[in-house]
Amino acid sequence: MLLNPLTLHLPKSSLEAAKLYKELEDSKVLAGGTFLLNSMKLLKTKGTKTARNILSLGHLEDLKGVSFQNDTLTIKTMTRINELFESPLLNGHLRILHTVCRNISTNPIRNMATVGGNLTCRYTWTEMGAVMIALDANMHFLGPDGKEDIVTAENFFKNGARCEKLFTHVTIKVNSHARCSYRRVRKTLHVDIPMLAVCVKTDLIGKQWYNSRVGINNGVAFAQRDHLLEEFLNKSFSSADLGKEALEHLTTAIYDTRSSDYKQHIFRVSLKSAIEEICQ
Amino acid sequence: MSVNLTINKKQYSLELKGNETLLEVLRDKLSMTGTKTACQETECGTCTVMINGKAVLSCITLAANVQGDEITTIEGLAQGDVLHPVQQAYVDCGSVQCGFCIPGMIMSSVALLEKKPEPTQEEIEYALDGNICRCAGYPKIFQAVREAGKKMKNSVIASEAKQSL
Repeated sequence: MLLNPLTLHLPKSSLEAAKLYKELEDSKVLAGGTFLLNSMKLLKTKGTKTARNILSLGHLEDLKGVSFQNDTLTIKTMTRINELFESPLLNGHLRILHTVCRNISTNPIRNMATVGGNLTCRYTWTEMGAVMIALDANMHFLGPDGKEDIVTAENFFKNGARCEKLFTHVTIKVNSHARCSYRRVRKTLHVDIPMLAVCVKTDLIGKQWYNSRVGINNGVAFAQRDHLLEEFLNKSFSSADLGKEALEHLTTAIYDTRSSDYKQHIFRVSLKSAIEEICQ
Repeated sequence: MSVNLTINKKQYSLELKGNETLLEVLRDKLSMTGTKTACQETECGTCTVMINGKAVLSCITLAANVQGDEITTIEGLAQGDVLHPVQQAYVDCGSVQCGFCIPGMIMSSVALLEKKPEPTQEEIEYALDGNICRCAGYPKIFQAVREAGKKMKNSVIASEAKQSL
């Protein structure tokens, strides 16, 4: 067997899943399985214990799908990466999610992996976090009593990406001024682990930048914001030199964590290029 | 636990443990060894099967978790002695070298062509990016996908014309 013995739980509704999530000890939630089952196999080969209870959300229809209503995009937790990639609802600056999905791993993985799994698997190098922070997304959690908690993506990752309750969906508010750009660099040509991901979003009115948000994933810590850079961008106008000037206003600690010179250089190239794309 | 699986349009009632992967069930319990096992950590794509028309990796799919889904393996493609157009195209184009990656490649190709019979080169590469060929025979594999797509499209047109007569 590739996996240690386990009990598979197949709840019939998201509320039942939320209750089981609270009740079950030594448990893990199974969304797409691309992180969880792979890591459980790896831990087994190392002789390490793995979760005894697996709570599968695979057949919960109410946790699947993408919708758009009242200027808000809703992505349910069990939406597969390729389903989001193919969604016709990714218009305007949300088109950036199309680019993000396109760059995630390989096709069979994109067919299996879910948005919820990517955001909550607690691997520091998953790419959705930085984008959700930049898009000012809200994450919705369902408790065993049926009550919903809403947490911003920024706070979720600031608090260590821990899920006390069942993650059900993410919502993103849309406005017509928003512009967005995303860059992702993989570790090597053959190892598809993102070394870094940066996402810059701003509300562009005329040439003035407002409400800028910069989501950074340095691959070492959970995704975070660069407030210093945002502050600079919010006083700025689009120009040919903005990308270059912005590099003087980085929160260096975010980019220097365990970084090689090469990685720091790539970060700067990526940010410059992302900002220049919005300026064009 | 008792599990009912639909594989290649046939029903199988099996007594499975929660930790059995679809790959293990296919190969070890049902002797469907066309689905290959290699890296077992989602890197190589040799274990690719189709679930509800989408290419997925059976090495990280729990068998008990795919009850009610339509599972298609490489064994389910040919109709008796007649190969599936994609299989035939792989033969005709000489796309097979050592052959180990081919069942996975074919499953990914079928999933693509059923959705998009005339894919662009970019779309072919996107669909097959999870399948690694150690012999590096990609150009002929891509050629086979294009050829199969044409045949599949022509056969659809022919059957539609036949129906309208």
